[in-house]
Amino acid sequence: MARRVNRFLTSSVFWRGVISIVVFIVLWELGARSKQWMAPEFFAPFKALLGAMGFKKDYLPWIGVVPAPSAVLAAWGDVLTSAGYWMSWYKSLFRVMGGFLAAMFVGIPFGLALAVSRTAYGTFFPTFEVLRPIPPLAWVPASIIFWPTQELSITFVTFLGAFYTIVINVLGGARSIDQRYFQAAQSMGSSRWDIFRRVILPGTLPSIMVGSAVGMGITWEVVVAAEMISGGGSQAAGTGGGLGFFIWNSYVGGSYEQIVVGMISIGIAGYFSSELLRTLGKYVTPWLRVR
Amino acid sequence: MDLRAPDPQERPAATRGRILIDDVVKIYDPEGAAVMAVDHCSLDIEAGEICMIVGPSGCGKTTLLNAIAGFHEITSGTILLDGEVLCSRDRPKAEPGPDRIVVFQNGALFPWKTNLDNVVFGPVMQGKLTPKEAMDKGRAMMADAGLSGVELNYPGEVSSGMRRRVEIVRALMNDPKVLLLDEPYRALDSLTKSVMHEALLEIYYKNKVTIFFITHDLEEAIFLGHKVAIMTTRPCKPKKVLTVDIPHPRDYSVLTSKRFRELIEETNEAVHEEALKAFQAGEKEG
Amino acid sequence: MEIALNASLQDADLDVLRATTPFRDAPDALLRAVAAIARRARYGAGERVYSASDDADDIFVVVSGRVEHVFTPEVGARDPLKRMTRGGVFGWAGLLLGHTRRLATVTASEPTEVLRIDTEALVKILESEAVAGNAVMERFASLIAREFTVPELLAQVRRLAGRPQPEEMTSLGLTMYRMSLWLKSPRPYLMVVGFALLLGFWYLTVEVWRLPRFKEMPGITAVIREWLSPNPTYGLSFYTAEYYQHIGMSVWRIAQAFFLATALGVPFGLFLGWSRKFKEYVFPVFELLRPIPILAWVPLAIVMFIATESAVVFLAFLASFFATALNTMLGVESIDESYVRAASCLGAGKWQVFRHVIMPGALPFIFTGLQISIGVSWFSLVAAEMVSGQYGLGYVINTSYMMVRYPTIVIGMITLGFVGYATSAMVRIAGDYLMEWRVRELALAER
Repeated sequence: MARRVNRFLTSSVFWRGVISIVVFIVLWELGARSKQWMAPEFFAPFKALLGAMGFKKDYLPWIGVVPAPSAVLAAWGDVLTSAGYWMSWYKSLFRVMGGFLAAMFVGIPFGLALAVSRTAYGTFFPTFEVLRPIPPLAWVPASIIFWPTQELSITFVTFLGAFYTIVINVLGGARSIDQRYFQAAQSMGSSRWDIFRRVILPGTLPSIMVGSAVGMGITWEVVVAAEMISGGGSQAAGTGGGLGFFIWNSYVGGSYEQIVVGMISIGIAGYFSSELLRTLGKYVTPWLRVR
Repeated sequence: MDLRAPDPQERPAATRGRILIDDVVKIYDPEGAAVMAVDHCSLDIEAGEICMIVGPSGCGKTTLLNAIAGFHEITSGTILLDGEVLCSRDRPKAEPGPDRIVVFQNGALFPWKTNLDNVVFGPVMQGKLTPKEAMDKGRAMMADAGLSGVELNYPGEVSSGMRRRVEIVRALMNDPKVLLLDEPYRALDSLTKSVMHEALLEIYYKNKVTIFFITHDLEEAIFLGHKVAIMTTRPCKPKKVLTVDIPHPRDYSVLTSKRFRELIEETNEAVHEEALKAFQAGEKEG
Repeated sequence: MEIALNASLQDADLDVLRATTPFRDAPDALLRAVAAIARRARYGAGERVYSASDDADDIFVVVSGRVEHVFTPEVGARDPLKRMTRGGVFGWAGLLLGHTRRLATVTASEPTEVLRIDTEALVKILESEAVAGNAVMERFASLIAREFTVPELLAQVRRLAGRPQPEEMTSLGLTMYRMSLWLKSPRPYLMVVGFALLLGFWYLTVEVWRLPRFKEMPGITAVIREWLSPNPTYGLSFYTAEYYQHIGMSVWRIAQAFFLATALGVPFGLFLGWSRKFKEYVFPVFELLRPIPILAWVPLAIVMFIATESAVVFLAFLASFFATALNTMLGVESIDESYVRAASCLGAGKWQVFRHVIMPGALPFIFTGLQISIGVSWFSLVAAEMVSGQYGLGYVINTSYMMVRYPTIVIGMITLGFVGYATSAMVRIAGDYLMEWRVRELALAER
């Protein structure tokens, strides 16, 4: 295993990746600092060219206003010591967990019920399909009106986001179970409950895990947005909070470096939670591991 | 079905498609696991001959086919086609080309093109025929193979037996020197298989082409082939090479003839020995 | 071909006829008359029985063996391939209105024996038997439509002379017929029950029982009244121009974002899948940026694009781009290597392989990606509109909340649902149109 890691670290794949990331950061740094290096007279014709194309400022369009990676790193160092930052992490994680677990708890049985019973499918699936195109965020105001606390309203919206994905994946997984497994079970005299427990559940498990990994990603999207929309609207201290709010607050407060700090933080959080689920998935479905 | 050959000889006179496999070695991952797939294998295949390669799954016979086709490199040795070097130690990988066309195990007809479009793909891509000429020739060849009526269907809409035949026609449209068949009938039921065998022979009698046919079915090999090479389990090399002296043209009555049974008896033990070795080595399906 | 004179052979024929769908319940007298005109015929394994476009003279009944029956694509059958053994009936093209030529190619896959029945002679026999004859014709019609999956429009059998005839099926008639079939199944009623439950729940909890948390919510009657009123209290209904302005604005933004993302994302993804070097250099950066939730980009987008309009479109574009590029790449990578190898064997150059193998092969994945991307696009657009922007459905929902115009929130939500669904469906239909081969393949797989 150690040898495999070693071989990866010295392979061309790894180094090409490193090069590209380094190049990306360098370009970012240069672009962000364009206000400075474009200042001297030397660049006047270049500025004129930009002006002719419609960009009338003294720096590169779009990238010129973005904070530089060096500044971001510095800001991150500052923020790591502030309690508010870690509080935001905690709050966001809490909401994600809550919404996600609720979605699994409700979504998996619901999906399985739809897959198993034609009556249930015929009754509930059309309604589900009609509600699904409504983006979860559109539910935010309704959610705020309904739920007593802001916490619950955000968690509800998060729940919705993951719920749709999980149900669709469970349904897809159940339907794609090879008919022959059912036939084999029936020919061996299994009862309906047995078939459910030993054919449908394990057969759907891979799709459930895939659905939850995807659902997790969506959950983070929704949490961030919900925090920005609801938390960002109000200035009340103590309510709101979370990484989305952190980003919005940084924007309002004018510290652009912190915006990027927040963005990267959420990216990391989202990535690791999805990876965690994927690993859990592999653990739970050992039969999918190929030699 | 009419199996009369155009001229009743043992094999149609062919002047091209002679393959010489000379002391070929193939080692996968030489600096890592160093798995030898082909071990100093030498085989001489005459022009226009049907050469059957029999061996247990995973023994390396597909590697040989891939080397001839140009999909894999060899480590050492030489493969020559009509005297020209296809690949050698200095130039380990041949270029895939229309002189050696492969018919794949699971079929590789393009599902997004109709059967006719598949069949004319080769000549049209190479610019050898105009689309109209190609379509006319394609329709004629399909009719010859008993496939008229399904030109405009997609491959997914016809049976797997028909798909195989379309794939063979697609190959033959390019007038290749060699047809490389990698267990093409493996997935078919035995009834369809026997029909396919006769169809293949009929096509063979009409076209002068060398056939390099991989199978694990000894009966299929002896029924079809001029020459049968029984390969050892991995790493593979010819364990026993047999010349089948049953005259062509052959039909299914051959299967119950005395000579056929004798040949099976001669070779069965060798095949069985290798199969047992492979089983004990726990070979996965290749 | 022999003419059956032997009595015991006749009995065997009767048995076979009784095993077929059209003749199953026919009276013995009719069956004997049919058996009398039937002739036996034999085919060897692999022998062609008939080809499409031959004259449709005889109807065939399989006595023993097996045949393969493949429709030409013009027929439009859902499952063009059908295998038949004893009791299978084929060659009935002559019974259809306006058809005298074969619609399929039939080959025997084993040594097969059949009964051949002259079509015109059969029709005469059926005409001579009042009730039974009509029943057999109806059975033929149902056999052709259901077991052979021929579309209704084509599967209309000839009239028997001397019978009072039903009206000829116009396409309106056919649609009504299909609707009647659907209505007879339980599906539409279950669907209605499902909707009724939802709406009922909404109505009861908010307006009738006035449950504690629910009573603040806008009720269903309030919403409907507002939506359908020519003079809405809060300014938005089917009758106001403003409603359509908002819809148009959102749709316009989605269109920009989606088309831009597709135009950039598909080639980018194709290249990522096609060239390993390119992927090694570019994919790490792509994967670094992808986990950042799109909405986390909102403030940065506002900073970068001073005009909020561009910022909003940028956000929708970004979401769409990631999904499209990723799925396209996966599509290319999932193409079976055999196809590429086969193409190079057949003499195709690198760009030819790309155009004829990679692009069509990746198309199913690309379209899945596009459907995901349009969903994700809407998701991001709505959020972006809610946070910053003027006009648009997201903006409507947000401001309605701020201004305590609760029914309008719901109007906005439902409209979003409809429009989102419609745009998704358009993408899906475009995909079905471009990938006819896949639609047919999937239909066959569902057997």
